[in-house]
Amino acid sequence: MKTLTIIALLWCMIPRPASAQDEDSLRIGVKGFVDTYHAVRTEKPNDWMASRTRVRGELTLEKGHTGAYVSANLVHNAILKDRSGFQLREAYAYYSDNHWDVRAGRQIITWGVADALRLTDIISPMDYTEFLAQDYDDIRIPVGGLRLRYSREKWSAEVVAIPVSSFFELPTDDKNPWSVGPLPIGDEPSHRLYNMEYGGRFSFFLSGIDFSLSALHTWNKQPVFCNGVGEYRRMTMLGADCSIPLGQFVVRGEFAEYFNELQPNEKPSTVNCQLSTRAAATNALLGVDWYAGNDWSLSAQYAHKYVASGEHRNTGLATLRISKDLLHNTLALQSFAYVDVTNGGVYNRLSADYALNDQLHATLGYDFFHADRGTFTIYDKNSEVFVKLKYSF
Amino acid sequence: MKKILLIAALFQLSTVNCQLSTCFAQKLTGREIIQKVKDRPDGDTRYGEMELTLRKKNGSTRQRKVTSWAMDEGKDTKKMMFFTYPGDVKGTGFLTWDYDQIGKEDAKWLYLPAMKKTRRISGSSSKTDYFMGTDFTYDDMGTRHVDEDTHKLLREEMKDGHKCWVVESVPVDKHEIYSRKVTWIRQDCLIAAYVEYYDKLNKLHRVLTISDVKKVQGFWTIQKMEMKNVQTEHSTVIVVKNSQYDVKVDKSLFTVAKLEKGL
Repeated sequence: MKTLTIIALLWCMIPRPASAQDEDSLRIGVKGFVDTYHAVRTEKPNDWMASRTRVRGELTLEKGHTGAYVSANLVHNAILKDRSGFQLREAYAYYSDNHWDVRAGRQIITWGVADALRLTDIISPMDYTEFLAQDYDDIRIPVGGLRLRYSREKWSAEVVAIPVSSFFELPTDDKNPWSVGPLPIGDEPSHRLYNMEYGGRFSFFLSGIDFSLSALHTWNKQPVFCNGVGEYRRMTMLGADCSIPLGQFVVRGEFAEYFNELQPNEKPSTVNCQLSTRAAATNALLGVDWYAGNDWSLSAQYAHKYVASGEHRNTGLATLRISKDLLHNTLALQSFAYVDVTNGGVYNRLSADYALNDQLHATLGYDFFHADRGTFTIYDKNSEVFVKLKYSF
Repeated sequence: MKKILLIAALFQLSTVNCQLSTCFAQKLTGREIIQKVKDRPDGDTRYGEMELTLRKKNGSTRQRKVTSWAMDEGKDTKKMMFFTYPGDVKGTGFLTWDYDQIGKEDAKWLYLPAMKKTRRISGSSSKTDYFMGTDFTYDDMGTRHVDEDTHKLLREEMKDGHKCWVVESVPVDKHEIYSRKVTWIRQDCLIAAYVEYYDKLNKLHRVLTISDVKKVQGFWTIQKMEMKNVQTEHSTVIVVKNSQYDVKVDKSLFTVAKLEKGL
């Protein structure tokens, strides 16, 4: 089976045009890339932080209104050996006509308007194997489920049912430079019907505003440490988001209330985690995008979380993105920073991407970490330079 | 993202600036000529495939390909466009609802397949930006309102074998990228055959040459055009393929759901 999937992936690499557009014929769409990424720590011991090469293949088969989509990686990882090999990402079948869109299978589902922050966008969890030092689309983990969407010109209604949940991947292997330590993590909820996630979203697309309302019965996908063990518990999310274009600006807002979210207890005790460490959490985000002209683009966001119990009730996280295209858009400069407002930490990714030709891009970058407290503290010595070559087909 | 916005505008240029062949015996003003160019019938729906070739001074080239649909709804227009080449942007989609009403901002959405996410983006993009690295700006693409410039008919003369009106257009807003442009408009089809753009110092900056115009389903259609920056010697050639008018498309094509579904 594995051999077959590898052959299928390699077959995907062969460039070919999409076949005829006739609705009754089988249409085949192929795309993908080969990339190689290497990073070195800029502080002693100046060791390799990452060294991986991969092939990504994406295959779409479509006939009439039905189709199937498969996305997979073939990876060689010189640092994290167990990350080498074949990795199936998405694999789903779909039906799509003028108004209905149904997807069944392993898929990434994204909600909300926040950029690289998760408020309502909590269905597909994150892969923190290399923390945030990966492309954002690599960080998202697919879930196994059904997504049903009905859309009209200015609105859509979406229902999701996820019997096969996915959860955060945390780097606990000591050989991983991004390791958070050998943390004991409890069992993930079993794939049973009563553990299924389900929810829905109404979205409206109007001339002066987009907005959505969403609800989801889910889990805390990132383990919460209760009595020293990472645990998963049920919770319910009610959310809303909006985007409002104003001239050269787009103002984005997102709100999510988590009911009964499991909270960490910092002093391990005999309390029952199921009962006594759960609280409502209120999440709110405000963001502004500025399309400044001359190929400048700026984006700033602030997200605040308030928990209704515990010692640390308020936390704030901000992001700032600045990008500029040069040389007829062959050179893209970007700075993207997470700022831990509560503790003063910073993670800033600076990058320069140059298009050597239509297919080949070279990227040089620097990941800067600084923190005395908070989320980024553990990575305070992980600042690195990286280089990436990417061939797209 | 800016790269993508231009392409949508380019598609509009290829279909909007062509005008049905008409002979005008009466003396027209510069404004009337530009208005006629803008008002050309172009079907209720349109489809097209475009290849953009960017050429540097040293001769090296880059290419972009897009597929696009458009539908008129009254005086408003909806457009859907997808990149098909190169691979790193393949599948990227762009949806616009262009409103004719002055002061009403266009609605625009961008879908990035790698992010699996649609973004609402600014409806009033900078007019002076060059997108996708091409030598075209938004304003070059024909979405400009007629009264954003004052137009003056300079003369009539032959250009490349076609009888043309020569119209000078000076922007009302002095912050525009060019100080004036001079357009040779073919009288047989109401298509610009040649345009000169002058910079703020009144030096020739860019020239647009439309070299291949054909009738498709009764509509004059640009098949090939080239914009050259004479100061940097960088140029962009656009070849339009498989143009179709009054194609059967459902209005549901022009929705965010279809944008995320992709080609």
